[in-house]
Amino acid sequence: MNTTIATPSTSKSSPRAKAATSSLAASTRFRTFAVAFGIAMPVTYFLCEWFNLPFFTYHPATNRIEFWWAPARSGEGPTMYWYGWTVLSLLVGSVVGLLATMLPDSVSRKIPLALVWLLPILALIPLAYSLMPFWTK
Amino acid sequence: MLISVNTFWTILLIVHGLLAIALLGALTHQAMAVLMPVRQSAGGFVTRFRAVPAAGYATAICVLWILTFLMGAWIYTKYRIYVRIPIEQAGYWKTQGFFELKEHAATLGLGLLPIYWYVWKNAHDPEYDGVRKSVTALLAFICWFNFLVGHVLNNVRGFGS
Repeated sequence: MNTTIATPSTSKSSPRAKAATSSLAASTRFRTFAVAFGIAMPVTYFLCEWFNLPFFTYHPATNRIEFWWAPARSGEGPTMYWYGWTVLSLLVGSVVGLLATMLPDSVSRKIPLALVWLLPILALIPLAYSLMPFWTK
Repeated sequence: MLISVNTFWTILLIVHGLLAIALLGALTHQAMAVLMPVRQSAGGFVTRFRAVPAAGYATAICVLWILTFLMGAWIYTKYRIYVRIPIEQAGYWKTQGFFELKEHAATLGLGLLPIYWYVWKNAHDPEYDGVRKSVTALLAFICWFNFLVGHVLNNVRGFGS
């Protein structure tokens, strides 16, 4: 068997030689969910950061949580938005992923798989740019 | 109280670092195995490093990424006040900028996990060979970047300093 010699990581003893055995790994609906989630999540995270749209604002000095964006309060220290961006992008990614599972297989198969790794790389470029004040001080 | 507050947060930071090291090792093995597959079973250290059953690492890597992420998110609450503010006061702006990039990269990595897990669990399917290589390489890059940034930040001002 050629693959045994070509890639030992895919040898008989490795899972590569076998078809997916768990029901989730064999599920085409999970595949669609994973692809849609992988596309929607980085896009949403980028938009959340760029337009500062957190699901909630955390005030670490007082342990206060406020929904959506809130400014820092006088005498209560800084605010943190990263938790809110992360949660919102996970929620949106999950909803988009679940909605995508309703698509017919013929449609979901047409979504380019490369987007799942291209979009996070592309998102990092403007995210790094948005940190310009840190690079130029 | 059994331990001081400083010690408590330092322990959490060390656990975060140890989880990151485990993740770094597993991801590096897997990325090397998928990007530079071994063609002969015998060989030196580097060849043996690449010759791991890479698919078997997938679930562990997902669990480690999530645990490391959660631990980092927990200590971030204290970092924001007790580490970031002194770093800014000392004028280490680029160091702080890299930390901001680290948090973005960690979240984007989190979004990759479902498809990463799926393509590795279907490692027999050549349709996913390209995306498997790309996603694994990207996760490995993010992990190395985040590890090095975290290491430098800890040198600049770790908890208890």
